[in-house]
Amino acid sequence: MEVVDPGTDSAPDTDRPWIVLVWNDPINLMSYVTLVLQKLFGYSLEKATELMLDVHNKGRAVVSSGTREHAEFDVYRLHEHGLWATMQREDA
Amino acid sequence: MGNDATRGCVIVARKNKGPVTRIDAMSYSLNIDATDRTTLNALLDQLRDMLMHDSSSDIARRLFPAAYHQDEQHEQEYQRLMRDELLSSRLASLSLTSSLLEREPSGDKVVLSADELDALMRSINSLRLVLGTLLDVDEDEFEAQLLDVDEDEFEAHLDENDPGYGQYQLYSYLGWLLDWIVTVQTEFN
Repeated sequence: MEVVDPGTDSAPDTDRPWIVLVWNDPINLMSYVTLVLQKLFGYSLEKATELMLDVHNKGRAVVSSGTREHAEFDVYRLHEHGLWATMQREDA
Repeated sequence: MGNDATRGCVIVARKNKGPVTRIDAMSYSLNIDATDRTTLNALLDQLRDMLMHDSSSDIARRLFPAAYHQDEQHEQEYQRLMRDELLSSRLASLSLTSSLLEREPSGDKVVLSADELDALMRSINSLRLVLGTLLDVDEDEFEAQLLDVDEDEFEAHLDENDPGYGQYQLYSYLGWLLDWIVTVQTEFN
């Protein structure tokens, strides 16, 4: 019987977590983005402000990660609040 | 959205300090006058109509952004499952906001629960997204003006001869109102 070596160089594609990104946009207020991150993810003001500034200065920030279903739920909630959010596999 | 309904309300409201104030941990007071509430409700009606009939414009793409920007197949599946849910959520928020704007005030104030304030915040932000997309605003131009100068200086930044003057005024008013709604929720945390 042939045994397939799964290898250990990298995790299988399905094992890599999904990340949720919030992207910079010219309309949402910085104060609003900070509040939404606090409300949806329970972040402290300091953490939410840090993420908001990453969005503002670097163009995007990873705001959560996990399973695909969890990431879809987070993206949906961010879209509900008008933030420009997407999801992708980590290191995609 | 047109600019015909904007001029009457904007200047008056911008002169009032504190359009939203905190009563206690569970309730807030909306302090804008009846003219402004009526104007906002008319704008929400337009937004509701847009949400229900526009699915392909830049505005629709901004209100219903892609979740999987690198994966078309997953994106189609996501939109198939989630778009209607997001639409329902937005419409429910608009409906709640409209009802509170039509509520009989106590004195000059409309008392809001925390959930109602959240609905108002999301609805005002949706209006800003629509108007900002229509105006193709630049964040440095507007956010800095809104947050870093006082109201009289801000008015001076706007050009009355600009064809979009009324829309820019409305956009600034919505940003001013939204910033107060955010502030009133964070200042006691």
